Amino acid sequence: MIFVTGPLFAGKQTYICRALGWTEADFRKNGVRDVQELAANARDLDKLAAELSVYRVVLATEIGGGVVPVDRLERKNREAAGRLACLLAERADTVIRVQCGLPQLLKGELP
Amino acid sequence: MLTLIIGGSASGKSEYAENHMLSLDGKRVYLATMEPFGDEGRIARHREKRSGRGFLTVECYTDLRRTELPERANVLLEDLGNLTANELFSPAGGGPAGLRSGLEDLMGRCRHLTVVTNEIFSGGRDYAGDTLSYMRELARVNIWLASRADLAVEVVCGLPNVLKEAKA
Repeated sequence: MIFVTGPLFAGKQTYICRALGWTEADFRKNGVRDVQELAANARDLDKLAAELSVYRVVLATEIGGGVVPVDRLERKNREAAGRLACLLAERADTVIRVQCGLPQLLKGELP
Repeated sequence: MLTLIIGGSASGKSEYAENHMLSLDGKRVYLATMEPFGDEGRIARHREKRSGRGFLTVECYTDLRRTELPERANVLLEDLGNLTANELFSPAGGGPAGLRSGLEDLMGRCRHLTVVTNEIFSGGRDYAGDTLSYMRELARVNIWLASRADLAVEVVCGLPNVLKEAKA
């Protein structure tokens, strides 16, 4: 599994589709995006990470960079998103961070 | 030649950008894009400091095409976040198209253009309306410039994390 992370609107999906020669339809079939949102409702993050690992590509948006939210639920969701990203990175063969549309390899090999 | 420098607030991106400019031969222009809005004292101090380093300061809030610059100078544009906001929201702004054509024009006139831009995209996606359209547009222009850049650097704690470096 290739885990792709990076800031919002950084061109993560465009990059990985180009790198793998995928169309949007290929991505819909073999990839999943915005998994940070799934973390919010997950009871068991380990189980969620295991389920997501069957995809060839998993995309998450970094959301932990701003001020810690005042709202307790928002705080919890943000925490879960960060933890899920760590679990996915652990399971991934390849981890790539995309910034300004440019890939940076954090683990494994670039496709 | 084009260099893109991205970083969060107070990441050290400006200082890195200025030092990068000092490594280039030729005239140096600091293209300031932030409308003063009462911060004139601070701006004057910065201008003086830069002038000691050989920078000519030129102000431009919208429409880069109309900005007068010395020919074939090395230009430091600071910053793209402000310029984007001006083009999108100021009465004189030219919108996304004006922003891009201005940058395109500027690239053609500079010897080396260095653009400082802002990392504002890691604090969640709980934004709406004008803020969200602003973020989308800034992100698009960041990607557009990064794809054309010879050097793209993310500055973290004052240290460069090189995202892209064209082979000389």
